[in-house]
Amino acid sequence: MTGEILRILLLALQLGFVALLYLILLRFAGSLLRDLRSAEEQQISSRSGIGRLSVLESPADEPPSGTTIALGPINSIGRNVNNTIFVEDDFVSANHAMLTFRGRSWFVEDQGSTNGTYVNGHRIDRPVALSFGDELTLGRVRMRLDR
Amino acid sequence: MRIAWRGVELRLLVPILLLVPFGFLVTTVAVSGTLVSGDLTLAIGYAALLLAAHVLLVVFGHRGDQLILPAVGAMGGIGIVMLNRLPQDLAGTSGFGIELGMAATQLLWFSVGVAAMLAIAIGLRDDGILRHYKYSWAAIGILLLGATLLLGYEVNGARLWIDLGPVSIQPGELLKIVLVIFIASYLAETRTLLTSATMRIGFISFPPLPYFLPMLVLFAAVMLIVVRLNDLGTALLFFGTFLTMLFVATGRRSYVLIGLVLFVAGASVAYQLFGHVQTRVDVWLDPFADPLGAGFQPVRALYALGRGGIFGEGLGQGIVTLGGGLTIPFVHTDFIFTAVAEELGLLGGFALLGFAAVLVFRGLRIAALARDDFGGLLAVGLTISLGLQTLIIIGGNTKLIPLTGITLPFVSYGGSSVLASFIMIGLLLAVSHRSAIGADAEADQGARA
Repeated sequence: MTGEILRILLLALQLGFVALLYLILLRFAGSLLRDLRSAEEQQISSRSGIGRLSVLESPADEPPSGTTIALGPINSIGRNVNNTIFVEDDFVSANHAMLTFRGRSWFVEDQGSTNGTYVNGHRIDRPVALSFGDELTLGRVRMRLDR
Repeated sequence: MRIAWRGVELRLLVPILLLVPFGFLVTTVAVSGTLVSGDLTLAIGYAALLLAAHVLLVVFGHRGDQLILPAVGAMGGIGIVMLNRLPQDLAGTSGFGIELGMAATQLLWFSVGVAAMLAIAIGLRDDGILRHYKYSWAAIGILLLGATLLLGYEVNGARLWIDLGPVSIQPGELLKIVLVIFIASYLAETRTLLTSATMRIGFISFPPLPYFLPMLVLFAAVMLIVVRLNDLGTALLFFGTFLTMLFVATGRRSYVLIGLVLFVAGASVAYQLFGHVQTRVDVWLDPFADPLGAGFQPVRALYALGRGGIFGEGLGQGIVTLGGGLTIPFVHTDFIFTAVAEELGLLGGFALLGFAAVLVFRGLRIAALARDDFGGLLAVGLTISLGLQTLIIIGGNTKLIPLTGITLPFVSYGGSSVLASFIMIGLLLAVSHRSAIGADAEADQGARA
């Protein structure tokens, strides 16, 4: 008789273990769903951009270092205030570089600046394709292309 | 450093902390036939380990994904419960006058793995060291392979092991990580070139060869050596991961097409040339042709799956040993999924797959949210590698594909595998942390403007 009770108890324990596995899985599903919903809301509220520049270093503080600049498809960069992105730095030319989004990728082209445009530390002499995470240096200003 | 509460993670971890002691209890009751709790030291140790990992992430203000650690914890929990249930003398360590059985050794490796994971997740604040030294990583990878080729010794027809005094390691497991880092960094740099310029042959456009060649050469070398070492599962894993990363980086279907054609060609050549490949495929097609010889392992595994049925035989009640030996040889490494399915049934097997699916889903989400190409590609590579490894070995266990001996991440017994898998999770968490920090900085700025 005790053997019979033990067997039923064991069966309950066994099924309990599998049930616990599914309880855990259910909790995962709950977390995943909540996360998807909040992501959806966020997407509606946030602007959809093709990329942005993070300013890493800017001695004259224009643009202020530590900020990000939302990018349009065509961006001119230089010390002239008519540029899309105005950069205050003595080593940057009036019309320094052009940052454009073509097709699926970003490209940067030097506009004949005096001190040149650098991508990840290498001076460029023709339009260069950029990946997200690449670093742009104009004069003493360092910026990073981000998503 | 600010403390960052991780409520979602804690909420998910709580039932997982209970899972392992509960599993140990059920096993003891089933095996002993009486209502005793048995020795719960290992189970409590495992729960404490997970809790400690959670607390450390909170204390160090880690902002990475909160579902990854619980998913890994659940898979590892099922693993520890199963390994505790199998004969403890299958594997183990001894030293300093202490003898450790298989489950205890696995827990030891889990501690090492969790420590490595935390060190990477918390310590890796800048991915420059991964990204800018890609040829150093490639060199390390080649060194690992060379070491295996020269110093390795054979276990079951595959030369994968290096003896390092007290422990033996499998360099292939670490090679996997190094290779993913290299490919991610290479593709992040040349991605735009690979998508833009083309050579056209017929209707398929090829990548420009000069940019593609260095990676292709390295990859071919790795594949050649891996195949030479008879490690077919790893070869398949590397190839699948490489192809996925290439597709994600370029968005070109033609690369995948070329890859698949190469795979079919390579596989058929390997089938013609190597006897052991032929045996594997023949056994897969008809294991019952030679049930006491080549087909012994798969036949026994299929019977075990059949015994398990939908609800399973119950923990501690499967037929693990038969006639003095293991019912299924290598049940603790290659066939751990079969052991789970025998005792926990189809339901238990599905639950395990579910946890793996959560891991892959979150890994790909980390990749999608990554701030830069390198982080994204790294996350894709690591995730696909873990996911593919799970599919390849479970597919082999269930006779869906030919069996290749690789481990089931976080479940199979094995130090190198556990350590490598945790390093991969650490890297994923590091990528995830960086994007969370970046998103915060942006939100702050938006609030100020």
